Amino acid sequence: MCNDRTNSSDAVEDAAAAAAATVEEDDSVSTSVGRRSSYRSLRSIREIDLLPAEAISDLHAIASRMAAAGYGRECVQVYASVRKPAVDSALRRLGVEKLSIGDVQRLEWEVLEAKIRRWIRAARAAVRGVFASERRLCFLIFHDLPLSTSTTNATATHDAPFAEAVKGAALQLFGFAEAISIGRRSPEKLFKIIDLHDAIADLLPDVSDIFAASKAGESIYVQAAEIRSRLADAVRGILSEFENAVLRDPSKTPVPGGTIHPLTRYVMNYSSLISDYKTTLSELIVSRPSACSRIAPEGNENAPSFPDLDLADPDSQLPLAAHLIWIIVVLEHNLESKASLYKDAALSHLFIMNNVHYIAHKVKDSPELRGLIGDEYLKQLTGKFRQAATRYQRTAWLKILNCLRDEGLHVSGGFSSGVSKSALRERFKAFNAAFEEAHRVQSAWYVPDTQLREELRISIAEKLLPAYRSFLGRFRHHIENGRHPELYIKYSVEDLETSVTDFFEGCPPSLHNRRRSHG
Amino acid sequence: MPATDSSSAATSVGRSFLSLRRDHHNHIPSDPHHSNSSDLHEIDAFQRHAADLLNDLVLSVSDSDSDDPFLSLAWTRRLLDSFLICLEEFRAILLGLGLAGGDLARPPLDRLLHDFLDRAVKVLDLCNALRDGLDLIRQCRKHLVIAAAALSSSSDSAAPRGEAQIRRARKALTDLTILMLDDKDVSGGGQRNRSFGRATRDSSASHGHGHHRRSSSGGSSGSGSGSHLRSLSWSVSRTWSASRQLQAIGGGLTVPRAHDVAATGGLASAVYTMGAVLFAVAWALVAAIPCQDRGLQAHLATVPRSFPWAAPLTTLFDRILDESKKKDRKHSCGLLKEIHQIERCSRQLIEVTDTAEFPLPDDKDAEVQEATQELLQVCDSLKDGLDPLERQVREMFHRVVRTRTEILDYLSRPHNATG
Repeated sequence: MCNDRTNSSDAVEDAAAAAAATVEEDDSVSTSVGRRSSYRSLRSIREIDLLPAEAISDLHAIASRMAAAGYGRECVQVYASVRKPAVDSALRRLGVEKLSIGDVQRLEWEVLEAKIRRWIRAARAAVRGVFASERRLCFLIFHDLPLSTSTTNATATHDAPFAEAVKGAALQLFGFAEAISIGRRSPEKLFKIIDLHDAIADLLPDVSDIFAASKAGESIYVQAAEIRSRLADAVRGILSEFENAVLRDPSKTPVPGGTIHPLTRYVMNYSSLISDYKTTLSELIVSRPSACSRIAPEGNENAPSFPDLDLADPDSQLPLAAHLIWIIVVLEHNLESKASLYKDAALSHLFIMNNVHYIAHKVKDSPELRGLIGDEYLKQLTGKFRQAATRYQRTAWLKILNCLRDEGLHVSGGFSSGVSKSALRERFKAFNAAFEEAHRVQSAWYVPDTQLREELRISIAEKLLPAYRSFLGRFRHHIENGRHPELYIKYSVEDLETSVTDFFEGCPPSLHNRRRSHG
Repeated sequence: MPATDSSSAATSVGRSFLSLRRDHHNHIPSDPHHSNSSDLHEIDAFQRHAADLLNDLVLSVSDSDSDDPFLSLAWTRRLLDSFLICLEEFRAILLGLGLAGGDLARPPLDRLLHDFLDRAVKVLDLCNALRDGLDLIRQCRKHLVIAAAALSSSSDSAAPRGEAQIRRARKALTDLTILMLDDKDVSGGGQRNRSFGRATRDSSASHGHGHHRRSSSGGSSGSGSGSHLRSLSWSVSRTWSASRQLQAIGGGLTVPRAHDVAATGGLASAVYTMGAVLFAVAWALVAAIPCQDRGLQAHLATVPRSFPWAAPLTTLFDRILDESKKKDRKHSCGLLKEIHQIERCSRQLIEVTDTAEFPLPDDKDAEVQEATQELLQVCDSLKDGLDPLERQVREMFHRVVRTRTEILDYLSRPHNATG
């Protein structure tokens, strides 16, 4: 290469390219950002020296010569074309993939969740490690050089070679996040999208530091900021979509045994997670639910009219809290529809009791959730399930308890006269039949919460046993003096007491005959 | 910048003809489930407006007179403007209907809208690919700037260009030619070319550099920089194809059945119109701007003449296809006028500097100077045109996303929620 025919452009460029390329080939330093050990999330900018100091001073000398000779543009060009593959492969090693928006749309959400997780780690390393280091390298080589990169007098920033080298990779990196931000809004996506939003928001100051200095790099920062904003919109949209989905959840077949509906579990788990994410969500959710109080239930005449979202003091309450309460209101409304599917009204009430109790229980269990929803509303919920319990008792037991009434049994006006034996026998038969029916049916009903189950049984027993005891006490001798008393007095008070423990077990009563002959 | 200001005599004839149809509509009492006359009027106006915009784009006067000749950067910006205007009107019609209590989610409208949205999402990847293409043109410009700087930077402007200057300019121009090679040769060959480039560099380094080496072909003088240039490759995956994308956008876009048009109060025609415009604009952009696997085979099923925009749409396709078949444009990496200028100028300058005599004789030098001037002009026209176009492509991206999100929201909202 020591030809004395002036061939400066070729020679200089070759030298520069050769120098940079050979260093690239054996610089293991530049791979260190991609190594496994560096995968732990970078919390802040960590520039590393991509090339050894000697090489950098050589390159700086070469670049100075080229710039001084007026070959600044070629120098920048070669630099960018050599660094670009290095940056691309660094990103590849970090696991950044070349996925189009179409590719992302086609992937299952589970797959995407994993990719988002990896992307967050990779993006932190890419921005704070790879890009920051590249910028530093560019600075070391070009910062004091007279570079003119355009035909006018516009001063080029010394970041231009860096921006050239890195722009494609940066766009590709953020392209994935952008593709996620424009996907369909379905409730399952909420929390991962919040994660992604938070990761980008966290990176934005560093992106700004690194890119916003040059005109070419500025568009990267702008795009990253746009993506964050779109993700915020997506979060709001998904929350809305979730609320709609709860409202519209179809009620087709009643859940057997009146137990907790899967929708209730899903919604309450979701709400718990929402409260876990309340830091970000409080910032992003700035308006109250828009859909409340104007939606008529669709085609379900049995559902009660839609309640207004009656909230205490709108000004002091977080919009997020309003949304959470709204979610529960909507859930309850939907549960009313589901309750109406039961033919047995008592089971409807039991169903409501179970589900509202579960809601209240989940709220009480989670300090964040309880803090957001407030004790006032929690009290309302508690009142509701107690009311449902009362309604259940009335509906299920009134008829049975009426068998044990005094009225209608006495023949003439006074007490001392006779009791209608036939009426009495009918009463006993009616009671037995009704109780057996209740026992058979309601043993298959289920109250999942142990404490609630016990309370309900105790409450039933408290009404049933004294009534039966007193009825027996007053009238048994009439039957016992007649024929076949065992047909009418089938149960002792103890028998009833034991039978009540079968209720709400969720399975039919054991075939073991619990009836004991009296006496 | 609105593109319709220049619509005048040429299009008013079309307008008055079509207005005859409008007066036929009777007044139907307002009912959210049936279109009333003002809805139909809007839909009609939308289609006519689309026709006007397309007409303005294709009925351009001869190239030398106009500010924005066909397929120039300025024209392409007008194309995008027209698209954005149509999209906005389409969106306004749909949202207006939604606000008035109409139900977008009722079949068959929901199916038609979902179909449109699927096509729209495919345009997004195209917008990203076009950004790469515009970047490629920017890179090309940089080579031109180097060549122009080499040839105009004479300390003594009276003296003819020296050998170093010529060599430097030729190198930049040959690199440029490699860059603009039709990408069909490159896609999938990124790795291969890189090693090819290295081998070339090594071999040419061992041969030394003599002034006898004349770079007539592109590759051998690359001295390795060919490989570096090729590494400025597309950011899409190797299997991505603009041609396939176009086929997905326009494929299966069928004329709405009369039954559907009636059932949707005419909206089916609006959706069809927007789909056709979407496809046409995407297709024209792919034709103009370099992108991976640029193929123009995709086409729309024939549009019935009853649609006012049918004729100008067909004309648009025809004119672009004609351009693509011209001898000197067939292998171009993009049909943009400015790309053609780049190709011509660089080819001319390479020819003019293909000489063994240094210093250059006066007549040759004059030729070189003239060619350099042209080169500078091309550089200038590119400088101001690329950034705005890139911003517009990005704007197209944003608006498509926004419209899609809004329509999806509407479609998933509970029935008869009044806004």
